Amino acid sequence: MTTTAPGEKAAFAAEYDAPIPYMQRTRDYYQVLGFNPYRWAHFVEVPFTPLRTPLSRARLALITTAAPFQPGVGDQGPGAAYNAAAKFYQVYSVSTESVPDLRISHVGYDRLHTTAADINTYLPLARMKETVAAGRIGALARRLHGVPTNRSHRVTIETDTPELRRRCREDGVDAAVLVPS
Amino acid sequence: MCHQTVSLAARHLEANGISTVIMGCAKDIVEHCGVPRFLFSDFPLGNSAGRPFDVESQAQTLALALRVLETAPGARTTVQSPIRWSEGASWKCDYLDLAKLSPEKIAERRKEFDEVKTVARAKREAS
Repeated sequence: MTTTAPGEKAAFAAEYDAPIPYMQRTRDYYQVLGFNPYRWAHFVEVPFTPLRTPLSRARLALITTAAPFQPGVGDQGPGAAYNAAAKFYQVYSVSTESVPDLRISHVGYDRLHTTAADINTYLPLARMKETVAAGRIGALARRLHGVPTNRSHRVTIETDTPELRRRCREDGVDAAVLVPS
Repeated sequence: MCHQTVSLAARHLEANGISTVIMGCAKDIVEHCGVPRFLFSDFPLGNSAGRPFDVESQAQTLALALRVLETAPGARTTVQSPIRWSEGASWKCDYLDLAKLSPEKIAERRKEFDEVKTVARAKREAS
């Protein structure tokens, strides 16, 4: 272990250069706005299933929280303001053969520092196809799945995730890559 | 909320025999929930799969996530991508920065929030 002697200037990173404490900032923010704090999901036990098939022979699912573009419900393009009308409330599936038009105006991404102008920043479909072509992944499932971002844990746990599992089973996948927006 | 949703989904799939890996940017939310495997990119929310118009960073991010999927020794495995969002890190100070909110701005945000909730409720009930 090395230590820095008193008086020496250590080349440490800035204190704020650490992962953003989103839960704390959100809690403080909503308190200032006068709302009750949100109870984030929290578990002690975590399930674990080792990958049983080598990746080069495995079929992978891609799961996203992005929303299908909906004509007539307002701006959903790059840099759009938060658009609650573009939300969706049921699990959906779309073919992975083409590039689906999926947007993220319905969620709270960092609008100050990013614009969601490049779909590949929140949907790694093109990169996954390249990885299949290179032989690193066996196959991509024929469809990808979208899961709603519901504030209600109960709806997510009791309705949406079992539906997601059912669809992944239908697709015969060995593993899933999940990408929040 | 997106990070919590995919964390709950990963847990459910994993408990039912499907291995998972999450690619994401909100480390605390994912780890608080507790997931099997997580590739963390220290980027602004909205960039879970890499930097915009930077194919190399996107390919590296996916490659790392796949390595995590293959090699994690057990649950709660988090690996942080070495890719930096930008040279400086001041962007991290801006997210919901209360110091920048005047009382007028707070009232405005509260009104916006109520409006958004009304729109979302109508949409949810219609679906």
